[in-house]
Amino acid sequence: MAENNILNIVLPVILVLFAPILGGFIMGIDRKLTARMQSRMGPPLIQPFYDVIKLWGKQPFISSSIQPILAFGYFAFSLTSFALLAFGQDLLLIIFTVAIADLCLIVASLNSKSPYSVLGGKRELISMMSYEPILLLMAISIYYVTGSFMVQRILSLNYPLLTYLPLVFLALIPVLIIDLKKSPYDVSASAHAHQELVRGVFTEFSGYTLALVELGHWTKIVLMLSLVTLFWATPIIIGIFLALILFFVVLVIDNVYPRLNWKSMLKTTWSVGVLLIIANIVGLISRVVMRI
Amino acid sequence: MKIMTKARLKSPWVLHYDCGSCNGCDIEILAALTPKFDAERFGIVNIGDPKQADVMLLTGPSNKRNQRVLKNLYDQMPEPKVVIAIGECACSGAIFHNCPNTNGGVDKVIPIDVYVPGCAARPEQIVDGVVLALQKLAEKSEKEVG
Amino acid sequence: MNQEILIALTVGVPPLAGFGCLILNNKIARRVIVGLTSLILIGSSLLLYNSGGLHYEPAPIFEILVLVFDLILLTYFLYTGFKYKNILVIGLSILQLFPVLYFEFILHGAEVTPLIIIDNLSLLMSLIISIIGSLVVIYALSYMDEHEEHLHLHGSRQNRFFFFMLLLLGAMNGLVFSNSLYWLYFFWEITTLCSYELIRHDGTEIAIKNSLTALWMNLVGGVAFVAALFIGQLYFHTIAIDKILKLSPNPIVLMLFASLAFAAFTKSAQFPFNKWLQGAMVAPTPVNASLDSGTMVNAGIYLILKIAPPLSNTALGYSIALIGAFTFLISAFLALNERVSKGILAYSTIGNLGLITMCVGINTPLSYTAALTLLVFHSISKGLLFLCVGVVENRVQSTLIEDWEGLLRRLPATSLIMIVAMMSMFLPPFGMLLGKWVAIDALTSSYYISSMLIILIIVLGSAATSVYYIKWLAYLTVLPMDGEKYGNEKVTWPYSISMLSLFGLIVTLGAGISSILNLIILPTLPEDYYSNISLTLLNVDTGVGSFVTYPIWILTIIIIMSGYFIAKKKGGVIKPPYLSGENVADDPTGFRSTADGIVKIETSAQFFEQEYNNDRLIEIAKIIGSIIMMLLFFAVMF
Repeated sequence: MAENNILNIVLPVILVLFAPILGGFIMGIDRKLTARMQSRMGPPLIQPFYDVIKLWGKQPFISSSIQPILAFGYFAFSLTSFALLAFGQDLLLIIFTVAIADLCLIVASLNSKSPYSVLGGKRELISMMSYEPILLLMAISIYYVTGSFMVQRILSLNYPLLTYLPLVFLALIPVLIIDLKKSPYDVSASAHAHQELVRGVFTEFSGYTLALVELGHWTKIVLMLSLVTLFWATPIIIGIFLALILFFVVLVIDNVYPRLNWKSMLKTTWSVGVLLIIANIVGLISRVVMRI
Repeated sequence: MKIMTKARLKSPWVLHYDCGSCNGCDIEILAALTPKFDAERFGIVNIGDPKQADVMLLTGPSNKRNQRVLKNLYDQMPEPKVVIAIGECACSGAIFHNCPNTNGGVDKVIPIDVYVPGCAARPEQIVDGVVLALQKLAEKSEKEVG
Repeated sequence: MNQEILIALTVGVPPLAGFGCLILNNKIARRVIVGLTSLILIGSSLLLYNSGGLHYEPAPIFEILVLVFDLILLTYFLYTGFKYKNILVIGLSILQLFPVLYFEFILHGAEVTPLIIIDNLSLLMSLIISIIGSLVVIYALSYMDEHEEHLHLHGSRQNRFFFFMLLLLGAMNGLVFSNSLYWLYFFWEITTLCSYELIRHDGTEIAIKNSLTALWMNLVGGVAFVAALFIGQLYFHTIAIDKILKLSPNPIVLMLFASLAFAAFTKSAQFPFNKWLQGAMVAPTPVNASLDSGTMVNAGIYLILKIAPPLSNTALGYSIALIGAFTFLISAFLALNERVSKGILAYSTIGNLGLITMCVGINTPLSYTAALTLLVFHSISKGLLFLCVGVVENRVQSTLIEDWEGLLRRLPATSLIMIVAMMSMFLPPFGMLLGKWVAIDALTSSYYISSMLIILIIVLGSAATSVYYIKWLAYLTVLPMDGEKYGNEKVTWPYSISMLSLFGLIVTLGAGISSILNLIILPTLPEDYYSNISLTLLNVDTGVGSFVTYPIWILTIIIIMSGYFIAKKKGGVIKPPYLSGENVADDPTGFRSTADGIVKIETSAQFFEQEYNNDRLIEIAKIIGSIIMMLLFFAVMF
């Protein structure tokens, strides 16, 4: 029993420590796969780490004195929220904690008086507004299946959530797209929109603040993909496989679709996403009613 | 610190600024970034934001109108940074040399590390120039780290 | 100390002190009176809270006094209606005056023993009213001096201001202690009077217009109250609240509760009665701070909380929840498009009251806990926000949030407090978010299939809520390169006492959330409500989820400290923003445009004015709100 307890504490701690690193590799895979889809070689897998180490060593330029604190906050609160997940805590709390991380990034980008950064910040705000309801509804629909908001409970299920919540799973695709900042919803900081956005929400970060923001972004992606793994949590390996498939789907979508504007992002998530989840919950309820 | 230098060499993010070029060299720069040459293999990303760039690619002779912008962009790039002048015009002004409205080469405005001549410079040359610039970046990095 | 004396102190001292302020219109006297009253009020409410509940029968003379004052009050409303030729006010006053006469002299109603029952809910409310109300009045000492200075008045009108502010506190305390519906109604009408007088305090045209709106909307509630009195007297021969609550639910009892709930909605400004709270923003800021956080609107919430237990599992309860949820959603969207600082706060108040109403309507032990948590923390945070806004408005001389850019640099202390207050409204680990979290837990675990609709509304509304707060918060932190300070941030003692106390309350109560739940909120639940919240050292466990408390607080502090440490260690040169290289050399806020002309950078916050129009939205919301209000009375049949 004691060994089990130690494992219960040590394993999450290791996960938390390695989350940003894992995120870096996921970003590396992202770049490699995208390159292959465009019939290029692509950078090495550890390219994101080169980028971050390089950024850490650059001459420090900041846009305001609180920017570094906020950049660190983005990273640290993303990590906190992942830690809550790793320790099997409440899903709602995890989602609310991500909101602090988002707040840090948005405030950091809005508080410089830079037009591009402000534009990106506003769009990031709308992105947050788009995906937060979906995540909350996801947590609630998971509750309807398991009777608990705790991640621990999901990890101890003997059936996969996916069989009960297939539509909720689909609704997570736009969330993942928004969080990875991929087309068609890469409105806040597109990799392909130099002309209008420059670097969007990241414009005013440079050197170590950008490195911190990158780390935060990686952590957040790991968090989101971990949420996906919960849909097939026993055995977790299938969940991880599932997350990787979804990740691949997002990359394909990214390479196929052009960027849409923020209005269509908000409309899609608030209509299609929400409707998918509601349809799923109605289905769940009718299944219970039919059984009675 | 070996790692830092290696990371710097492996991740040169470029900022491309056209200070009065005929667009010939610009098209060649873009060609160097296409899948055929695949600059991203070397970690090269066209970042478009001076605050995050390490390498500045300049085309055109620079004139009286845009030298201010050029200077500003250069100032907004954090150290260590290298600047590459691409094409005859950027190197020396070429046929615009001694024109009253141009400066005759970007090195009249900011210090240049690598000159890539050619009208227009070919993608292979540009990639070669970047590799040269990286050597300079490594020198700068070593000097900085001590 | 004797509890009777404590009741007399909490209810009696504020009006008397107010009367003192009315007569002695002089700065020093006012400060002494207000300071002493606040001390007495806070002290006695704390002692009262400590001594627990009681039943008490005041001397018979008070019953006559209440009747006399009530008639005077109603006559005054009638007079006001004639004075401003407002047909609504006249009609609604008459609708109350004659029925009350009939009720008293022909039906001989109002025989209630005991007249005063103090339970844990009353004590909690009294604590909120006394502490936050007193702090706001202290704050007003400085604020009103500055306010009158800006208005260039000849002769101070502060005497009547403080009279009504203090009277409001006394009336609110009386309201939460009364066991007789008639007494409750009387105190209810006094709060209506106070809000009317305070809103029109500045005497401008718009102030008078809005105060009349507030008056008639609150009088609508009064009429509903009178209807409840009659139902109680005619059908059940009692207007004692404790007896009414024990009646077994049937359509007539539910009709009584529906009337009371309706009255409560007028006070707590639920749609379609949102307009008066919105209009109240023309009043001096302490008025808003008092009305929106500690006092007036809480009267409505108190009434619903009081009548909630018999409503569990009724259609009426569900309609109440629906009204609350709808108000929460609409007010969040209205706030998104609002540019006036106090307007945003007003919508936020309406929305949060909607959330509380929703929780009470769901009416499970868990949701009741959520309602109480939200009530406590909303009062504190909103009170503090209004106080900060008041200070800023007096300094900046603008109410538009767009003019508040870079406040963090100009008024560092005030805006830091304000930012924390804003974050406490919607982010973990503060109390408001814990309340919202318990609310969602309660909603999902309430096994209403129909609660799906409410869940959806709450989820969308809470996303919009985060957006308007983050937007505003970001505006305060913009650090303009040329940011000149607005003089010295001179802080007078009334400001610092009131704001720092509330700030301290937010932080300490937020950090000690487990103890607060354990000591204050859980004991306040109605008798047969057994909440299965369990509190451990590290988290608050509702049975369906668990909220980590201390670890998050500690982590937050560590994160801020280490962020600060990294910022100090790495440092950095502050560079002007990226403007495509067109920066002006010696002016970081400008860029070169056509013909090298210098243009100032202007950035704006995100509004959704092209997507929807607030006026249209209010029109639609009014119609839907009215329909749901009507549902309230249909719901009694089920």
